[in-house]
Amino acid sequence: MSYVVPIGPYHPALEEPIHATLYTEGEVIRDAEIFVGYNHRGIEKIATERNAIQTLVLVERVCGICSHSHAFTYAMCVEAINKVEVPKRGQYIRVITAELERLHSHLLWMGIACHIIGHDSMFMHIWDERERIMDLLEKLSGNRVNYAMVTIGGSRRDIDDDLRRDILKGCNDLKAPLMKMVDFVVNDKTIAMRTKNVGVLTRADAIRLGAVGPHARASGVRTDVRVDAPYSSYDDFEFDIPVVESGDVYARVVVRALECVESIKIIEQALDTLPEGPINNGNKLPKIQEGVAVCRHEAPRGQLSHMVVGSGKLENYRVSVHVPSYKNTPTIPHMLRGNTVADAGLIIASIDPCFSCLDR
Amino acid sequence: MQEYKRIEITKDQVVPIAEQMRKKEIYLVMIHGFLNKDGQPDISYEYAVGPVIESYHVVGESTVPSITEIYDTAAEWPERELNELFGWTFEGLDTSKRLFLPYDLMEDQGKGQIMVKPLSELRKLNGTEKEESK
Repeated sequence: MSYVVPIGPYHPALEEPIHATLYTEGEVIRDAEIFVGYNHRGIEKIATERNAIQTLVLVERVCGICSHSHAFTYAMCVEAINKVEVPKRGQYIRVITAELERLHSHLLWMGIACHIIGHDSMFMHIWDERERIMDLLEKLSGNRVNYAMVTIGGSRRDIDDDLRRDILKGCNDLKAPLMKMVDFVVNDKTIAMRTKNVGVLTRADAIRLGAVGPHARASGVRTDVRVDAPYSSYDDFEFDIPVVESGDVYARVVVRALECVESIKIIEQALDTLPEGPINNGNKLPKIQEGVAVCRHEAPRGQLSHMVVGSGKLENYRVSVHVPSYKNTPTIPHMLRGNTVADAGLIIASIDPCFSCLDR
Repeated sequence: MQEYKRIEITKDQVVPIAEQMRKKEIYLVMIHGFLNKDGQPDISYEYAVGPVIESYHVVGESTVPSITEIYDTAAEWPERELNELFGWTFEGLDTSKRLFLPYDLMEDQGKGQIMVKPLSELRKLNGTEKEESK
């Protein structure tokens, strides 16, 4: 028997609104279609009426989880147009915030993955550890989300010696439980049975469809903006890019777990070698000069790109935001084919989707 | 460091460049578009060549060939977005379905353009015009 099974836009297995139509034969999905656009807020349009500092506040609200990434990338674009040099200390503080954000985003996703798999106690353990990162971010910026750490030409808040020690200690304390978690996620039989050979995206497909970030790295594509096109002092730090070949949901869990370890490495290096000096170039409201810039940033979910067009006024002429989910979401139908309906929720969640980013 | 290189091309060069880039396994970052100050469409194809973004701009054309055949969904979604939001035509692109806009826009308005009116005009239309404050 063949059925058409609709999932979403509001569904217990999904964090955010997406609609998927599954064409099934019995239990098996033969084909699938996805529909987006339930969360469109017209942020690109609003941005054309705002000045650079107001836009920083606006683009941070594109997404709750990767909020720093948006402000970071937008600021890089304006700095590229205006040819502003960011002080080294400011760059390091941006990197530290970005990596803390990556940590909390990956832990959040791993928790949700465990929850969907049905491993609720693991979900609670992971989110307990995530809460430590959230506390560090709160100490650093004053906020749990929307950190407002970026200004045009640097960072808004400094890291003093006490805070530096606190973050280092927090990261150090996290290492043991994180290693335990990685070990558990990699070796546990329950997780392996539920995720191995589920939702496979082959390497050829990942390249053809242009997948990015951890999703592509789980399919054996070695791509990372931090290494391919270093920005904001990322070339000062030593870190590995975990790549797994198998391309299933299990690979995505493993890649993200290993990336957490690498993020801690970067934070420690940055804090150990935090340069002296100013953190920004002063709080003057900049005019956005005439010109175009496209900048890329490795957000927790992959490559994030902003395009900013300036016209010599305070306001932007055009801001265009393009997020990793824009490239990863079209891979979902390819992954769903041949799997069972019971795994559909897990497969859709496995790209770490962010549809509020996607719809903007 | 990241760099941005602007290159002007004509619309006949869009497909050959995309084919060349695909052969070299170069990543298509995005297809951006906006109306420039003269009101002309400015469509740009951004390729990530190492740390440099090579941006190929087609200016003044509201009809360009689609590169969906070459870059699959990495090009299809941006093209569909530009088609919906600006009304530009990508020759060879399947626009029978909606990406961001609601489906019920398809029937009477055809092209799928939402005519955005300023709030003041809407108030006039609805007869709920505010009294001007003195």
